[in-house]
Amino acid sequence: MYYFLSPGTPHSHPWETVTKAAMQKYPNPMNPGVVGVDVLNRHVDTQGRLCSNRLLSTEWGLPSLAKTLIGITRTNTYIQENSVVDPKEKTFELQSSNISCTNIVSVDEKLTYRPHPQDPQKTILTQEALISVKGISLSSYLEGLMAKTISANAGKGREAMEWVIRRLNTEIEELAATAQATIRIPMAAAVTEK
Amino acid sequence: MNSVGEGCTDLKREYDQCFNRWFAEKFLKGDRSGDPCTEMFKKYQHCVQKAIKEKDIPIDGVEFMGPNKDKP
Repeated sequence: MYYFLSPGTPHSHPWETVTKAAMQKYPNPMNPGVVGVDVLNRHVDTQGRLCSNRLLSTEWGLPSLAKTLIGITRTNTYIQENSVVDPKEKTFELQSSNISCTNIVSVDEKLTYRPHPQDPQKTILTQEALISVKGISLSSYLEGLMAKTISANAGKGREAMEWVIRRLNTEIEELAATAQATIRIPMAAAVTEK
Repeated sequence: MNSVGEGCTDLKREYDQCFNRWFAEKFLKGDRSGDPCTEMFKKYQHCVQKAIKEKDIPIDGVEFMGPNKDKP
């Protein structure tokens, strides 16, 4: 078992912005392996928290020779994710586990987004991962390797969030521009028809 | 973003659009008025449930019927 905790580099956006973006994290160019996201169940609990259960479908795009060697017949692997958004406490907690290849490896991740205690314009992400490779003598070496990858990916996660936040802001700007254009077009048409 | 069920992607996108709007404009702002997306979610969920069975995906302990568990 290998336990890894990221130090939580702050995101330079308030908690609501980061939470909205995290809820719509996929697709993004930093995570090309995630090819599907589905909500399996969702409800607001008695404490007013939004509880969601989601399925992430991932595709690793392995070259066909690699697939033959490893003996994979399908290229899709699946991750199940449970999350809770508490709008009063301002926490967004996500827990995920792989549900494919569980006989080979277990990767359990927990992410928590909270406002920065000193600066409400920033958000802290804490990330923990438990990795377990089964039944192989090199397991601790492989676990270390996976932990290094998760650590390197923590930076990618921030990039992914920035990308989503920029995309959401662009959509808002485009909507505003379209609204302005829609007002102008009928006026121009009215002028040219004369 | 696609759905795990190829035929469910349109239903998923419709639901996602509804949910994202409600989530940002109501839920996060403390507005406890009802979720307007429940009908859309039911249709989408029904489709996904079938796709998961067909693809034999080992979902762990999910109750597909949500809070309203009454079924004949």
